Amino acid sequence: MTTLAAAPAAARAWRTLRTSRTAVLGLAVVAVHVVIAVLAPLLTSYDPIANDPAQALLGPSPEHWAGTDQYGRDVLARVLYGGRYALGVSVAATVLTVALGTVIGCAAALRGGLFDDVLGRVLDAVLSVPSVLALLVVVTALGTGPAVIVLAVAVVYVPQVVRVVRGAALAVVPADYVTAARARGEGTWSILRREILPNITDVVYVEFAMRASWVVLLISSLSFLGFGADPPTPDWGLMVAENRTAITVVPMASLAPIIALATLVVGLNLAADGLSKAWGVDRIREGS
Amino acid sequence: MASIVSVNSLSVAYRSGGRDVPVVREVSLEVAEGRTLALVGESGSGKSTVAATLLGHLRHGSRITGGSVRVDGRDVFALSARELRRLRGGTVAMVAQNAGHALTPSMRIGKQIEEVGGDVPVVELLEQVRLPRPAELARRYPHELSGGQQQRVAIAMAVAARPKLLVLDEPTTGLDVVTQRSVLDLIAALRDELGLAALLVSHDLGVVAHLADEVTVLRSGRAVESAPTRKLFAAPEDPYTRRLLASVPRLDDAGLALVGEAGEREVRPKAGVAADAPVVLCARDVTIDYGRTRAVHGVSFDVRRGEVLALVGESGSGKSTLAWTLAGLRTPSGGTMTHEAGDLNPPAHRRPLPLRRRVQLVFQNADTSLNPRRSVGEAVRRPLRFFGTATGRTDAAERARQLISDVRLDPALADRLPAQLSGGQRQRIGIARALAGEPDVLIADEITTALDVSVQADVLRLLDDLRRERALACLFISHDLAVVRGVADRVLVLRHGVVVEEGPTEAVFAAPGHPYTRQLMAAALEPDPDAPTFVEDVAEWEDAAAPDDLWTDHGDGHRVRRWSPVNAPIAEGVS
Amino acid sequence: MLSFLARRIAAALGTLFLSSVLVFLAVQALPGDVATQVLGKDATPDAVAALRGQLGLDRPAWERYADWIAGATHGDFGTSLVSSRPVGGEVSSYLGNSALIALVTVLFAVTGSVVLGILAGLYRDRWPDHVISTAALVGMSVPEFVVATVLVLCFSVALPWFPAVVLYGPDATVGQLLPAVWLPALALAVVMAAYIVRMTRTSVIDVMAGEFVTTARLKGLSTWRVVTRHALPSALLPTLHVIALNVAWLAGGVAVVENVFNYPGIGKLMLSSVQNRDLPVIQAIALISAVVYVVCNLAADLGAMALNPRLRTRGRTR
Repeated sequence: MTTLAAAPAAARAWRTLRTSRTAVLGLAVVAVHVVIAVLAPLLTSYDPIANDPAQALLGPSPEHWAGTDQYGRDVLARVLYGGRYALGVSVAATVLTVALGTVIGCAAALRGGLFDDVLGRVLDAVLSVPSVLALLVVVTALGTGPAVIVLAVAVVYVPQVVRVVRGAALAVVPADYVTAARARGEGTWSILRREILPNITDVVYVEFAMRASWVVLLISSLSFLGFGADPPTPDWGLMVAENRTAITVVPMASLAPIIALATLVVGLNLAADGLSKAWGVDRIREGS
Repeated sequence: MASIVSVNSLSVAYRSGGRDVPVVREVSLEVAEGRTLALVGESGSGKSTVAATLLGHLRHGSRITGGSVRVDGRDVFALSARELRRLRGGTVAMVAQNAGHALTPSMRIGKQIEEVGGDVPVVELLEQVRLPRPAELARRYPHELSGGQQQRVAIAMAVAARPKLLVLDEPTTGLDVVTQRSVLDLIAALRDELGLAALLVSHDLGVVAHLADEVTVLRSGRAVESAPTRKLFAAPEDPYTRRLLASVPRLDDAGLALVGEAGEREVRPKAGVAADAPVVLCARDVTIDYGRTRAVHGVSFDVRRGEVLALVGESGSGKSTLAWTLAGLRTPSGGTMTHEAGDLNPPAHRRPLPLRRRVQLVFQNADTSLNPRRSVGEAVRRPLRFFGTATGRTDAAERARQLISDVRLDPALADRLPAQLSGGQRQRIGIARALAGEPDVLIADEITTALDVSVQADVLRLLDDLRRERALACLFISHDLAVVRGVADRVLVLRHGVVVEEGPTEAVFAAPGHPYTRQLMAAALEPDPDAPTFVEDVAEWEDAAAPDDLWTDHGDGHRVRRWSPVNAPIAEGVS
Repeated sequence: MLSFLARRIAAALGTLFLSSVLVFLAVQALPGDVATQVLGKDATPDAVAALRGQLGLDRPAWERYADWIAGATHGDFGTSLVSSRPVGGEVSSYLGNSALIALVTVLFAVTGSVVLGILAGLYRDRWPDHVISTAALVGMSVPEFVVATVLVLCFSVALPWFPAVVLYGPDATVGQLLPAVWLPALALAVVMAAYIVRMTRTSVIDVMAGEFVTTARLKGLSTWRVVTRHALPSALLPTLHVIALNVAWLAGGVAVVENVFNYPGIGKLMLSSVQNRDLPVIQAIALISAVVYVVCNLAADLGAMALNPRLRTRGRTR
């Protein structure tokens, strides 16, 4: 059964990639970021956190391709290493958010009734508090460790994922094949796993790519405000905050992390766009 | 007589995956002034595409690959944008299939009719399509109207600018029989009154026989036969046309019509039910509520082993609600439902497994009743494993292949996804899935409604075969009286959740006792322009059933709910 | 019609109640209460306890919640721990400044993005669509602080047209702030517009492919009339709630941008109060943001009623 199910899935994935140039481009950009983050120590010999006052605020040169910052740290090295923090925290946060959101969203769609109503109100209440403020409060309360940030992001974004997944699942629930399973008397969990989940995986994947881009943005904003990564961690948001005042002296120190950040998010967005188009997922209408 | 439409070896293709896929191939046709031409064909025959070209409209991604379309002497696809608009506004008008989708939801009816232009006042137009209280209706929004009223509004909109040609794209598909009949009569009357030419697109040969002067039959984008209506229905020449015509069930078929390759037609007598066949399913005074509205009101019936009982009614009659309740998807609010093996009142998940598997439901729409992400083999294997009718994985796989071949499909299809099958094949898989529980009661909820007529004939035959082979009791739910006549042993006519007439099929069709049954039969359209009306007179009536005196008994189980005649005429156009 | 409105208002009040509880509980969960914040780490337990009694912090949580809500309805949110001024007055002066930015942003972002979204939808897969869609993609891929930084680089450093930072406090007049409003508003508008453009485009494409639009075309109406009278009312319907969400998002979105420009608005106050653990101020800002969210959504519901007769004519029967 697994092989039977896997074969069409693989074939479909391949077809998708072949037909959607946008998705391929987006996924390739993300892949490059991942590779750079993993191989960062091999790509540069500089230590991203070692200060060297003698080398401070240099422009691009053969030794420092992107120049140095006010503490004399190599900007390129910090950008290369910066992907580790951004990707690591973002991926963890997105996985947690989407997983929680999918489970709750499906449950709400399938159970309906009072549970769904109350959940909807509570989620609305969570959404009504600005995400930045909620995040700041959590981080001030619990500290700025990566684990806390992952948790905080989940608190802020789970309601939105729940809405999207619930919308998608609601479109599947009245389908006759779900009714057929109910007429057989199958259990809720079995219906969820066998009938509903396979039909909303597209929405979940697209939501994952989309949500990842938001999470990257949110986490970098948090770092920029000084509530995310602690100095001297190499992080793009933090780098922009540190070097912004010296932007006229060493523009590359600000521009390099900006470019890294923007390409990653563009990649994620392209992937989300391409996949949703190839799979016919209308993610905007699904209610985010 | 001059031609108002002249289509000359028209070819249309759309681009898909970098290739041109032809949808219409070298179709030629002529419509003379004041005449009606019908384009007949099954789904995918390209009939709607041809019709839309008369208004210079092509679907996104389609283009003309050859030929020409001339309307009122002008080449439609050579017109400038301004001229095309004038053509659409003044010369040709279209009535689309689903008026509920074709009317703009945010605009009042009157406004929508008015903006077509033309000099006829809106109120007058609404009167012309026999809508009551036109002045008030003009201020309403589309969603405040019933389906039949919406279609009448669409027709009023089409004739507003007094065009010369009407394009009718399946104008009554989706409407109930009685409504369909009155809308068709309206179209015919308006056409004659205004001297319009018409191009009618339809899959329904009854509608065509009723309305058209000439017929062109399309198959896979090609015109296979063109003839005057009488000639075509009396002596079809092309084998496809003959098969198509032969596949249509008739109200006077005493059994299922089996159609041969060349279109020959043989009516197979019904299997009949053994006199001592036990009752497998029994419903007594079943009442079902949807919130505060009562969908089914005190319905009782028995189904015996090997018997087909038809539930007949229009939308809203409660027939599907009853089916779903028997399948355990809703709980009745009153009455009892029992099976040989136990009580059917609790919902499916509370019924014991051995009982649950013995009552199985086949869905109306095979496109949505199979999980698009699972192979059809899995769809059949799952109930085999779940109900324990197969012992192990290999056994289930083996049994699934057997079931798939039992429904006359190639077992090799088991690895396909539903999307890779045709509609008829999917419906057969739906039946195979229901059979996997080894049921003795099969509930077939409008299972052929979404299918083309030739496919419908095949599926009906399969159902009839299975019932003979397995002595299945079958609850056959349908709105189509001709289909019911061919397959059912007994008939139950439902109206607004109440049984108005029941009895053996032959008795009910020979002497329909209730005016509502007669009305349904009178509205049915036979695929024969010269067919006599099946039922002549329909009395105006009101319910006269008293709690202790519900029925007039006609013997042999044929009974009719009491009614009394009324003389007040029913307001026309209210549907 | 009234029932729809009544249900929406009831739901909004419910949401507001839940948010206020949530906010109150969240702030309670923060380590250290007002007394420890005021007295500092070195305070004796006795002193802390005395202040708690004085401030009423030893009473049960629901009583303090009731007090807080009762005060909040009169605009009394307590006293700021940092400035010792009434929170209500302090927040409102910052809020006014932010409203100035929000007004400009909403005005430009909403109208501009809806128009661009419609254009992209109508010219689907042709060059105007490609240009607009690509710009929107970039717009939503770049964080606010980057947009703000780039804007400063372009319009304050390279071309010294606008001030890079604001040198006034919260009590600055509109006249003093006006020159400084444009860049923050532009930065916010870029981010906000991206989403609305995409939503509008999808919705327009959807509706333009609908049967009733085809029917309207086949009636021989002009493209302009088909688009404005038949397509747009339905196409804008799903856009309304996205607009509402984005406007509500401004309440938090201003935090980053105001920080970049040192603009004395609610976002800057939010940051500094979090840094200083000024609990009454945090609570007040959160509650006000929730009100903004709820009001925006209600406005979207009203808009939906205007565009969708189904919501207006519920009571009437066939």
